[in-house]
Amino acid sequence: MSKQQPVLFSIGWNACINCGACVAICPQEAGFVSPFDTIAVDRPCDIACLLCERICPVDTITHVPVEVRVTQTAEVGQ
Amino acid sequence: MPQIDYDLIIVGAGPAGSTTARFASTAGLRVLLIDKRQELGAPIQCSGAISGHGLEAAGIEADPEFIHEAIYGFAIYDESGARTVHDYRAIKGDEYGSEPGKKPLGYVVDRRRFDRYLVTQAERAGTEVWLKTEGIGYRPETDGTCTVFLQRYNQPIQLTARVVVGADGLQSQVGKWAGLQTHMKITELAGCLQFIVDGVETEGLLEIVTGHEWAPGGYAWVFPKGNGYAEIGLGVISTMTEHPAQWHLDKFMRKSFFKERFANSRILEVQGGGVPLAAPLRTQFADNMILVGDAARHVNPITGGGLHTAVSGGKIAAEFLIGHLGDGLPLQGGMLEAYQNLWLSELGDKMWKLYGIKTDIFHNMNLAERDQQLYATMSDYFSPTSEFKKI
Repeated sequence: MSKQQPVLFSIGWNACINCGACVAICPQEAGFVSPFDTIAVDRPCDIACLLCERICPVDTITHVPVEVRVTQTAEVGQ
Repeated sequence: MPQIDYDLIIVGAGPAGSTTARFASTAGLRVLLIDKRQELGAPIQCSGAISGHGLEAAGIEADPEFIHEAIYGFAIYDESGARTVHDYRAIKGDEYGSEPGKKPLGYVVDRRRFDRYLVTQAERAGTEVWLKTEGIGYRPETDGTCTVFLQRYNQPIQLTARVVVGADGLQSQVGKWAGLQTHMKITELAGCLQFIVDGVETEGLLEIVTGHEWAPGGYAWVFPKGNGYAEIGLGVISTMTEHPAQWHLDKFMRKSFFKERFANSRILEVQGGGVPLAAPLRTQFADNMILVGDAARHVNPITGGGLHTAVSGGKIAAEFLIGHLGDGLPLQGGMLEAYQNLWLSELGDKMWKLYGIKTDIFHNMNLAERDQQLYATMSDYFSPTSEFKKI
């Protein structure tokens, strides 16, 4: 398990040039993509390496931290 | 014999996929070529440069349908603007030139038309082409075939094939289906941005600008784009800069030794992409699967050029598959490693060597020395005496 707190990515579509660099650098398993050939923006990323933000040529990817769900944490803890 | 729908299902109709399809269909294999897009070649993520011998080697005619402009040589600049020129009109004037009886050294192609042209050639050779069709996954079966899961205009489709060819680009999902190690290091993927511009003069040369000042970890370029247009771009390695490629391109256009040349440029298109300056994938095969093109990271690690390597690799893949399937050999249990070995001996070993050269340069932490090394290496790479001129 990653020690990073999961994040939800947001893409500024106005600046996105659909270059695919974010998907190319993404270490997630197959399918962590949006219908617009970017990284997924509809579910949290639990790796949170943020490489997609660094590689983006137009600097248009941001993220917000996502609270780890309490129930899940409790189950894992016990 | 198990029932199959296709010998090959090729995922991705870029230059690598279409070239694989064309050669395989010509030899009589049943080929389905799919692409999820509605328009091939777009969005453009590439500068479009390819050598004449690169086209020739893959049996592609230099058709005006897809050529933006002919190229006759190179100009490599150091950080201050001093340059080395290899103009083949001067070096080998009886062979290269725009006059009748002479030929260009290479071309800048229109990727939309180039990709469509290659698909057309594959289709005319017998390939079935489905656009708006996405590969969802695959499953090797115990009878030696595999099941491939597709989605076409929202419709789920299941087909049986002998081999899936992953030609789905740098963002490849196909390799991930088989659990191949496709992850790339952040230090080896250049974030690239380019503008198609009007109002910038070019001289039939591919111009390459080195120097950490302009493109940390990569280089900048000015390519002729036909009809008086040019393409100005650069790629940077994000660990070597605090800024995105866009910031560097803006700086290159407004502050470099080319600022007067670019002063009246007007931007007509914005394009970008990730370009691997990396080694080829170590494993490019799995049960019932091989990878070609960007998906296999068949990209020149010095220049970032991927067109020649894509079409050459596509041809190698097709020739391997024609032989392997023709002999009825197994497709599982590591049997497709023979594809990778063939590719290494024909192309890959040279790319590994280039990767070594590139890595040595960027491991030098002395910036001035590194800049000098990159300039010297680039200048040598494009010279007529380069040992690598066939890549």
